[in-house]
Amino acid sequence: MPDTTGTAEKKFLLRRHVNKLRWVSLATVFVMLILLPYIHVYQTFVAAHAYDFLAPAEKQLYDVMRFVTSPLTSDPAEELDAIKGSTWSGNFFGLKLSDPLAVLGQIAAARRVYVPILVSALIPIGLTLVFGRFFCGWICPATFLYELNTNFGDLLNRLGFRLHRRRFDRRFKYLVLAMGIILAAVTGSVLMAAIYPPAIIGRELYYAIALGGFGSGAVFFVFTLLFDLLVARRGFCRYLCPGGALYSLLGRFRLLRIQRVVEDCNDCAKCNAVCEFGLNPLRDDFGQECNNCSACIAVCPTDALIFRAQIHDQPDQGPGHLGRHYRHRSETGKDA
Amino acid sequence: MKRRTLLQRMAAGAGAICAASLPYGLARFLSPDAAAASRTHLRPPGALKDDAAFIEACIGCGLCGEICPPKCIRFFAREGGGGVNTPYINPEERACILCNKCQEVCPTDALTDMPREEVDMGIAQIDRLTCYPWVDTGVCGACVSICPLGDQAIDFKLWNQYKPVVQDGCVGCGLCVEVCPHPSLPIRIVERSEGTVTRHNL
Repeated sequence: MPDTTGTAEKKFLLRRHVNKLRWVSLATVFVMLILLPYIHVYQTFVAAHAYDFLAPAEKQLYDVMRFVTSPLTSDPAEELDAIKGSTWSGNFFGLKLSDPLAVLGQIAAARRVYVPILVSALIPIGLTLVFGRFFCGWICPATFLYELNTNFGDLLNRLGFRLHRRRFDRRFKYLVLAMGIILAAVTGSVLMAAIYPPAIIGRELYYAIALGGFGSGAVFFVFTLLFDLLVARRGFCRYLCPGGALYSLLGRFRLLRIQRVVEDCNDCAKCNAVCEFGLNPLRDDFGQECNNCSACIAVCPTDALIFRAQIHDQPDQGPGHLGRHYRHRSETGKDA
Repeated sequence: MKRRTLLQRMAAGAGAICAASLPYGLARFLSPDAAAASRTHLRPPGALKDDAAFIEACIGCGLCGEICPPKCIRFFAREGGGGVNTPYINPEERACILCNKCQEVCPTDALTDMPREEVDMGIAQIDRLTCYPWVDTGVCGACVSICPLGDQAIDFKLWNQYKPVVQDGCVGCGLCVEVCPHPSLPIRIVERSEGTVTRHNL
């Protein structure tokens, strides 16, 4: 039985710190998306051999980028092409990676299968089959902003602003995905790209930094931020995101799951409060929506949540054995 | 009573479908403009010739722009429908250097890998009533000297040096348009059609 009084030193458990690792991952992706457009601008300066013609600010950028990249490469115009793109579709040291939603949208729009882009999505699909909706929690550059937005909402709540925390049907996003496929097939364009936040972020950061101005996607993204803030917490990811729907479906029988150890659980419900996707870890209801973000593991005071390799959730195990409900039940012999 | 529940369910379903299309409608609403003039909005080299097929194939990832050394590839920001976020090149601003990097990096077949001689972005056309050498107001030849394809694409007229003549090998990269010193740009990229060059060489 774990020590809950807090007097003894807590044992170091790696799984409690996975959430920090996740934030490192999210921040890395986001910083890369900001850095890559700057690298591209620097590459164009190098390719043009035009240092003397640059404006003072451009010279500054050139100098900074040369300082940053000179330990890595002696031929920036060519070798910095190794990492290009965004999470929607990108090149990583010769490896082409694409979002499964991009592939699905393209197949729907063109009504034929183009094999190279299908191949570029195989690694993400394989990882999703094992880790579930991990893209949403670990990589998606929009998640980085959405979680900060959630924290901002909590701050506003604390300051006394009353924000709505509505709940809708989580299955709604599958309808959005289906409508996206149908509309893509009807209009002949990959419509999901216009409403899928990670694609928007990757693109708009490039537009803003390299091409000198946001496109229409930035406005759409601001709308989703306001929706999350004012209507439903993480509402876009929970109820609307077509990519989240696709990843949830792919990760339905994922191998790696977070599970509750009922003997250690004290029914404090912190896991439910912290869950960004509004799931119910307290009663073993993770389902296909869980993105293995491990925020619930980090917050659990009794370390009752663990990673486990199995393809199904456990059925509801009832009240935690350290909780009031369970003790009441075992004393009186009936359901609390 | 049964009919009423059926109708209620149908109405609810229709409402749900409408609500599910709402994000797409909003995205469409945010980019309502129609297509821009194609003369200043060329597709990148290797693009599918049929523009509808190009829009079907393009996923709007922006990789072509991100790898382009001269940064000539821009993106439609407010073009309505499927055209939004698809790439274009405005040769009057910055022209393509035919390096083929965008074709290599494109994850779909929107930009197909092909040698630079087979690229077809259009074809250059010279306004002989404006071009400096053609109206005998000076010696230029900027377009001929910058052309990455050499004399198979643009050459001086055989019997009169300095008067440029577009050849059949021109692929429409637009470097000549970018470099042309004349303020009204007598050289432009136009759609390639049957006999464009022959008609013009008369």
